[in-house]
Amino acid sequence: MAAAEQGVDAARKEEEEEEEQVVNPWEVSAGKGGIDYDKLVDQFGCQRIDDALVGRIARLTGRPPHCFLRRGLFFAHRDLNELLDLYEKGEKFYLYTGRGPSSEALHLGHLIPFMFTKYLQEAFKVPLVIQLTDDEKFLWKNLTIQESKRLARENAKDIIACGFDIERTFIFSDFSFVGGAFYENMMQVARCVTMNKAIGIFGFNLEDHIGKVSFPPVQAVPSFPSSFPHLFAGKDQLRCLIPCAVDQDPYFRMTRDVAPRIGYQKPSLIESRFFPALQGENTKMSASDANSAIYVTDSAKEIKTKVNKYAFSGGQDSIELHRKLGANLDVDVPIKYLNFFLEDDDELAHIKKEYKEGRMLTGEVKQRLIAVLSEIVARHQRARSQVTEEMVDAFMAVRPLPNMFG
Amino acid sequence: MEVGAQREATQPMLVVQEETPPVVGVRAKDTEHETEAAAVELVVTQSEVLAPEGRMDYDKLVDLFGCQRIDAALVHRIARLTSRPPHRFLRRGVFFAHRDFNSVLDLHEAGEKFYLFTGMEPSSEALHLSHLIPFMFTKYLQDAFKVPVVIQLCDDASFLRNNNLTVAECKRLARENAKDIIACGFDIQRTFIFTNISYTRGAFYENILEVAKRVTCEDSIGIIGGSQEDNIGIVGFPPVEAAPSLPSSFPHLFPRNDQPRCLIPCAIYRDPFFRMIRDVAPKIGFQKPSLIESKILPALQGEESSKMSASNPNSAIYVTDSPKQIKTMVNKYAFSGGQSSVELHRKLGANLDVDVPIKYLEFFLEDDDEFEHIKKEYKDGRMLTGEVKQRLIAAISEMVSRHQRARAQVTEEMVDAFMELRPLPNMFG
Repeated sequence: MAAAEQGVDAARKEEEEEEEQVVNPWEVSAGKGGIDYDKLVDQFGCQRIDDALVGRIARLTGRPPHCFLRRGLFFAHRDLNELLDLYEKGEKFYLYTGRGPSSEALHLGHLIPFMFTKYLQEAFKVPLVIQLTDDEKFLWKNLTIQESKRLARENAKDIIACGFDIERTFIFSDFSFVGGAFYENMMQVARCVTMNKAIGIFGFNLEDHIGKVSFPPVQAVPSFPSSFPHLFAGKDQLRCLIPCAVDQDPYFRMTRDVAPRIGYQKPSLIESRFFPALQGENTKMSASDANSAIYVTDSAKEIKTKVNKYAFSGGQDSIELHRKLGANLDVDVPIKYLNFFLEDDDELAHIKKEYKEGRMLTGEVKQRLIAVLSEIVARHQRARSQVTEEMVDAFMAVRPLPNMFG
Repeated sequence: MEVGAQREATQPMLVVQEETPPVVGVRAKDTEHETEAAAVELVVTQSEVLAPEGRMDYDKLVDLFGCQRIDAALVHRIARLTSRPPHRFLRRGVFFAHRDFNSVLDLHEAGEKFYLFTGMEPSSEALHLSHLIPFMFTKYLQDAFKVPVVIQLCDDASFLRNNNLTVAECKRLARENAKDIIACGFDIQRTFIFTNISYTRGAFYENILEVAKRVTCEDSIGIIGGSQEDNIGIVGFPPVEAAPSLPSSFPHLFPRNDQPRCLIPCAIYRDPFFRMIRDVAPKIGFQKPSLIESKILPALQGEESSKMSASNPNSAIYVTDSPKQIKTMVNKYAFSGGQSSVELHRKLGANLDVDVPIKYLEFFLEDDDEFEHIKKEYKDGRMLTGEVKQRLIAAISEMVSRHQRARAQVTEEMVDAFMELRPLPNMFG
């Protein structure tokens, strides 16, 4: 297992030799044809989530598995089966996810891990910690500390709007929370990672500033329950499950390597693919290109315009050709989006069949997508408008959560 | 040659280009500096000071580093401004170099405030004499200028450097060392002692990152004299030691609209650390800290060997030593510049340049006249090594006993009191 988890050094060499895909927390770029997820899973050394595992989750939680699981958006894992074994025996775990608050403009791709984590929280009835890495954004971006902190609070409102249970959820920003036991764990992790190792895992170089090289332990330690003495005092061996996008894997590969050396449990991971930009599969959505994504602040009109104008179509150039040949579903972005956001399996299957065989046109597919997205975004905006500063304070208050496993 | 290779003892190099850029590279990257580097013989890193010729050449070091000498005029100015005799360490040239110390004096003369920052890395329970030097001097500066002191205990660095220590152990060592520091006589109304592991959060953490964003890995590795095999905690450490020189690191002490300048008393080998923050501070809106720097107390065996190191017990006198232990250590290990026989000694006299007891008396014998007398008599061969050592033993024993008595009176409550996060309303009184 350890050898496979070291896979990134081999991956890096391979990348350099063949100029293929690059996947790390700060860069995601694909070769021709988009991200090769099979290759990625091999390189990283994680596992695929298969139907059996999805079925198991449904059984254990007594409810249908989330759309993102059914449709393979969350597609890879590390030690998820082990975690479920323990859960089956009555042993609890907690969830940990997070966000780097680099801008106020969240897009749908940002919401995905939170939507999924909310489902996990409800399905498994477990507590959740959410980390806002405002320090990371300060270190990597041209932001002041004050601005980073402000963005963290603003992003917290969108996160809260996803519907987390306040009795079971602790949101924190690094600038506010780093210290004490959390900082002690950061030291423990830092001592176990050499510069050379960090360079190998994250692609740092000697010209990078030391803030970057010192940061990875900050994202590692929320995996350890002793980082949160107000929540998990006396539960040093409590397990952790981390839902995240697959580009975050390097942080947790490092964490899993270090954990046993400092007497902690390795966290388990459940990882998602990248949500394609409107223009196609080749990169993930970028907050710096407004037209690459649907933002949670977009109006219905803006959604309609963006989908119609920018969503890459796998349909044919003319109606005649399209009726004859049908659509290429592999590259069609509206279909990919529907795959993630259209709840109804039957309706999705119907649309795919009709579209592939040329009976449904691009315009009709896009229209259905616009309706689906508009509903999601509108619902989010309503929820977001009801989040007050007091609610943010409440979620971020350092307090015990007495009913967190209830 | 790669960064890591500078650790090879056979190729000591110290390359200093100019005050800015602040990099103290321990290797020459450019060929134009190669020959310059090869000619430099001193190696100064954080944990070792080597002088291949058997004697620290402080003049050369000052030139290389680019700091200033403290001259007689400056010592007189200090005495005048503080209305008291200058500390022995100033009179004897133990604190001998500085950066912008005159600026601090100018400020003081104009009624402006400054604060003192010093500290140490807890490495063992028992401190030795050279640990005490910056604290003795800082206490004098506190009393003389009536200014506050912040004292940093780098328990995180102890942890990061030593795989055998637990976090709890490092915290414990820091508290024990704090007792020795308190025993030096700091004024609780003007002194804040903190340990990094407890204090790193909030404003302090923010300043650490502000500094870290402006120092490259390469520079940091150069400053600490490390390599890419060092852990990321150690490579990331210099900003932690730099941050206390930024007054906004202490919001409970210094209100936002009143950010005093910082003066750092330290040993000369810390210069590269603080040159870094002097370069960074203006970029984030702060005044450069000033430095006042000391020579290094030689090991008993002489300047040729490494400086007093807690890991080499023969070379140091500990603050826990009994008079008997002090007597044994000095008699047995203190390197003598005297001649090998009494006859030869009466004829030729002692070589004061290499005599360790004389160097120790320079540091620790208060009376200038007596010190001059001993030097003259010893150099002219009228005083013998044994007599000089006897005088030294008496001087050190007295100092160490006094320290032990003071230390015995430091309670856990006093440590808590010095470490408490509290404003110091009378700190400039």
